[in-house]
Amino acid sequence: MAKEKLSIGEVSKPRFEFRTFGRDFDEAAYLMSRLSVPVPKKVWERYSEEIYILSKTNDVNNTKIRDGKMDIKTFVQEVDGLEQWNPLMKGEFPIKAEVLQTEVFPAFKVDMPQLDKDEYTLEEFLEIINKHPYLQSVSVEKERYGYMVNDTICEYAVVHVNDASIVTVNSESTELDDIKKTIKDLELEGVENINYLQAIKRIIGWISKPLAN
Amino acid sequence: MKTTIPRFEFRIFGQNLDTYESKLKEICEKEKTRHMSSIYLITAGNTTNNIKIREGIMDIKELEQEFKGLEQWSPFLVGEFPLKADILRTVVFPAMGIESPVFERDKYTLEQLLEEVICNDPDLAVAYVKKTRHAYTVSKCITELAEITINGAFIKTLCIEAEDPERVFKAKNKLGIAEDVENVSYPLALKRVMGLANVPDSWK
Repeated sequence: MAKEKLSIGEVSKPRFEFRTFGRDFDEAAYLMSRLSVPVPKKVWERYSEEIYILSKTNDVNNTKIRDGKMDIKTFVQEVDGLEQWNPLMKGEFPIKAEVLQTEVFPAFKVDMPQLDKDEYTLEEFLEIINKHPYLQSVSVEKERYGYMVNDTICEYAVVHVNDASIVTVNSESTELDDIKKTIKDLELEGVENINYLQAIKRIIGWISKPLAN
Repeated sequence: MKTTIPRFEFRIFGQNLDTYESKLKEICEKEKTRHMSSIYLITAGNTTNNIKIREGIMDIKELEQEFKGLEQWSPFLVGEFPLKADILRTVVFPAMGIESPVFERDKYTLEQLLEEVICNDPDLAVAYVKKTRHAYTVSKCITELAEITINGAFIKTLCIEAEDPERVFKAKNKLGIAEDVENVSYPLALKRVMGLANVPDSWK
């Protein structure tokens, strides 16, 4: 079967992903920039402010809020150390209490807090989150630089987690072999695959494990 | 016996301290650079004790007073690991402001404390902090610029400290630090990065 041609910024089949976090990926970023085919100008540099919702009892659902919109992705499988995530739900603030009850809090895998209103603004939602003993909101700002290497979507990004900075590199595609080749070409073989949830949990002290460097 | 007079401290954190850094390098020479690693024990409710482990030794700095925007921290040595459970129960946990758990050992190595006690306590978080500290002297104050990582994430800090608060004010003035710049202690900064306290816009 012919492989699907990926286009940056467009919807595709669920992709596998290699991502890692640390203090220094200058070499990988340099290689990425040299090996990349030209990419659309809109992905050369992107800046975003996001809020991640972390749950102490959940590592399989990744909840992110950007521009007042909530996006939950769920972990599907891991193949050869690469992770596949699928969209689980998308919502917009103000959000209905019913959606929080039936979709959002179940994704956090925590006890349902008391919801007294019919709908919640982002601020009200964050208030509930930060009062919950097993949940925490984390501010994440990203400066992302997009590339395309071996038909995989790649990026190098400087990420500020609650205003402390780390860097990340990734390669994602529907094709496992293309990602593996990219890991090799970027000289990242043997480097731990660390997703956003894991990286943030390590920084905020929920997981006692270092980043990749 | 030599008595240590607690120093008054002014400290700031941020990604960009370039203005102060340039000024510092313009008015004095760097004296030395040191690299060190510390472990901080963090609780959401504690703002008056700074609990730190470095090279197998635990010490606690207690906030004595605030004076015109400066903080005076008084250090005391808790002891070297292995630490007695009794010390953890009577000194360390009260300083963290949380209830002491039931200890199953008489003494704890650092690893045992982290793995068996701290990691299982939902009220406690651990910050592994690596520091590259550059020492300067400004207006006879110990002045330090440092690049640090908190559980792997990077931020900078600048600190001015002296026994005499007036000297700290002079040094602040020399470095061009305005009166309304917030004084942020290590425990507060760690809590902000670890999501246990809100992060102000001034850090960005």
